[in-house]
Amino acid sequence: MRGARTLGRLAPFVALAIIAIVPLLVTDRFLLKIFTFAGINALVVTGLALLFGYAGQVSLGHAAFVGLGAYTCAFCTVRLEWPWLLAFIASGALAAVGGLLLALPSLRLKGHYLAMATLGFGLLMTLAFVEAEPITGGVDGFGGIPFPTLGPIEIREASSLYWLVWAIVGIALVAAFNVTSLRPGRAMRALHGSELGAQACGVDVVGVKVRAFVVSALLAGLAGALYASVVGFVSPSIFTLTASIAFLAMAVVGGTRSLSGPLAAAVLLTLVQYLDALIPGIPRETAQTLQSYQEDIYGLAIVLVVVLAPGGLASMWRRQTRGSHAS
Amino acid sequence: MTMLQVRNVTKRFGGLTAVDDVSFDVFQGTIKALIGPNGAGKSTLFNALTGFDKPDHGSVLFEGAELIGRRPRDTVQAGVARTFQNTQLFEEMTAGGNVMVGSQAHQRRGFATAMLRLPAAIDEDHDAREQAGRLLRLIGIEEWIDTPASDLPAGIRRLVEIARALATGPRLLLLDEPAAGLNTTETHELVQTLFRVRDTGITVVIVEHDMGLVMDVSDEIIVLDRGRKIAEGPPRMIQKDRAVIAAYLGEETDEDA
Amino acid sequence: MDAFLQFIIAGLKNGSIYALVALGFTIVYAATGAINFAQGEFFMLGGMLGAFFASTGLPLPLAAVAAIAATAAIGAVFELLAVRPIGGGDPLRIIMVTIGGAVVLRQLALHFFGPDERPLAPFTEGLSIKAFGAAVERQTVWIWALTAMTVLVLALVYRKTAFGRAMRATSIRRDAARLVGIDARAMVTASFALAAALGALGGLAVAPLTQTAFNVGAGVGVKGFAAAILGGLGNPVAAVAGGLILGLLESLTAGYLDPVYKDAVALMVLLVVLFVRPQGLLGGSGREKV
Repeated sequence: MRGARTLGRLAPFVALAIIAIVPLLVTDRFLLKIFTFAGINALVVTGLALLFGYAGQVSLGHAAFVGLGAYTCAFCTVRLEWPWLLAFIASGALAAVGGLLLALPSLRLKGHYLAMATLGFGLLMTLAFVEAEPITGGVDGFGGIPFPTLGPIEIREASSLYWLVWAIVGIALVAAFNVTSLRPGRAMRALHGSELGAQACGVDVVGVKVRAFVVSALLAGLAGALYASVVGFVSPSIFTLTASIAFLAMAVVGGTRSLSGPLAAAVLLTLVQYLDALIPGIPRETAQTLQSYQEDIYGLAIVLVVVLAPGGLASMWRRQTRGSHAS
Repeated sequence: MTMLQVRNVTKRFGGLTAVDDVSFDVFQGTIKALIGPNGAGKSTLFNALTGFDKPDHGSVLFEGAELIGRRPRDTVQAGVARTFQNTQLFEEMTAGGNVMVGSQAHQRRGFATAMLRLPAAIDEDHDAREQAGRLLRLIGIEEWIDTPASDLPAGIRRLVEIARALATGPRLLLLDEPAAGLNTTETHELVQTLFRVRDTGITVVIVEHDMGLVMDVSDEIIVLDRGRKIAEGPPRMIQKDRAVIAAYLGEETDEDA
Repeated sequence: MDAFLQFIIAGLKNGSIYALVALGFTIVYAATGAINFAQGEFFMLGGMLGAFFASTGLPLPLAAVAAIAATAAIGAVFELLAVRPIGGGDPLRIIMVTIGGAVVLRQLALHFFGPDERPLAPFTEGLSIKAFGAAVERQTVWIWALTAMTVLVLALVYRKTAFGRAMRATSIRRDAARLVGIDARAMVTASFALAAALGALGGLAVAPLTQTAFNVGAGVGVKGFAAAILGGLGNPVAAVAGGLILGLLESLTAGYLDPVYKDAVALMVLLVVLFVRPQGLLGGSGREKV
């Protein structure tokens, strides 16, 4: 039905509009911060959408890249006193290089080896963040990270930070959309569909996987830098296996072959964490119980989606719109 | 001109010799069929020719260049394309999308140009789309261009895979049992398609069980039995070859037993 | 020299536990071609359930058997609910579901047993045994004995019994196994149950020494996996060897370099093996390559 198609086309713009005006409607700084975190998670998950949703690769260590970006940003702005933009770029670059070094040897091997390598890498980085005290501040964390500055302008208002983060998410989404709608996206979907078939079409299977991984690591690194600059303080306890699994859950729930599904899932699952702040009526105990069940939600979500709806939210939406076309 | 020179190719799996010292030539612009009872080593030979497997011995020269030891991607770049016995389509992509993946085999624009949506990337995509349409039209299945691969009937799936292989711009096309699962009409259309392909100058080697198809389509036939070449020649000759008849009869007797 | 012997003892103690967990990984990998990320949680459940049953007044041997049986049952149920519906096609989906399942199991343990550590009494009370200038705790001897016995029993079962042969056949060629009448799906369930039992045994045996809590699964799981990879995935002998070697490496590193690096050893081994020799020490050809 034309209605569904038009809705599908308009949806991104509507979403964009809604996202843009949120700070005008919401004045509570804490609430705005939650929405900003949603954006930071969305940035990581956009990268994972490419890696997992399109290229079909599983990473269990993406929190490590976020951490790499965060600590790089902290170090560059506080210790080296670099301008923020330079530190921001450096964070992405370092995470990307880390991703490249990890991906190149791992992706020559069968699928599950990447999952294991990223698991090992993630756990190792968590340890490294703790042990490399002179650089990272160890268990006590790294504080005093300045707000982002673009040229002469310092971005410190909650609404400005929100817009900065979501602007970057927007740029990442556009870039990711371009990639998926052109040759690389087709190559990723091909290798996910049939590696043999992809090879027979001359697709550089390993190369595509590596590139997808590096891009996802880059975005994670940038997200880390944003987190560090928005919160002002980072510690190793943030960038753990639990966080990596949370990101993966968002990508899995969001679904395959889609950018909007993972985006929606990232926002939803982030907001669920702060339900008591969002819905004023909820009593403290319920909110606290919900908080403690967060990880249950991630674990259950992954199991349920993989078993019952492997394509995630995106495939459910696709089935809806397909059903409304004349067949 | 000799397009393909296969020399002494041998492949063992543990104690089993799947391909035993096989040598043959394929001449440009011809259709050569590879036949033989089940387990004769035909698919293994294909895998060896296209980089999906590495033979223990032997050499394969394509237009004078060695193919053995190269990755599948490299053989595609060199101009050799193949299809699979178990059709390997990209299920959630349309028929057109599948063929486009083949079209982009020789394209160069990657992640960076795509991300920035540079005109070069867009043009390449456009070209791929056009070529996909053209190829599907050539094979006569253009009506399926927007159908998801998972929804295609069995006969059409094989043809889409052939179109996809053609999209990589090969000079040598290797088809692994393209007629499997096709009915009589579809087989007839396949024969016509193969002639059309050959007429565009592409050399074809096909593995097949359907004797009718093989007799209709081949310029030359080579027969494998238990990994070894037992006969080679034009269809008329092979039909009368005693070793061939024995090999196939032997298979029938085994089946009765 | 005494210190060295002490390190060896500690290494072989931990190594035995890793061997059991690694065996669990190998058995499931052989049956499904996939990595079971929940293996560490089976280890955790063994210790936790053992401590729980013991605290209800059950005599220790009974509590131990109950814990292992219960964990095996959980392993089987887990397979039936989460793995079987996937249909055994894509190993990556199995990995994903076991990742989610691991989280669920851990959270269930948290909700049922609380966040605190639980003690478990040693299997036999008494002072450490002194031998050759080193002290060996009695529980350590238990660990060695149980591991050795388990490995022997497993080897016998695999070689001599119909069930063992069926397991081996399924791991080599599932479709062929089915042709011969082996119920491949039941074999997969059995392999999960067996892997769970092995993990639980490890958790149970080491709980008296290290205390157990709801969150010990991930750490040991990764180490057990590193051990399995080190030896060579899919090969039970390699799993045991990998476990012992990893235990020794850890212990010697902690002893001679810095205890801080102890946990990093397994991770580094994992990465190094993956990058340098993915088939492991005893593994065969490079069939891991795409």
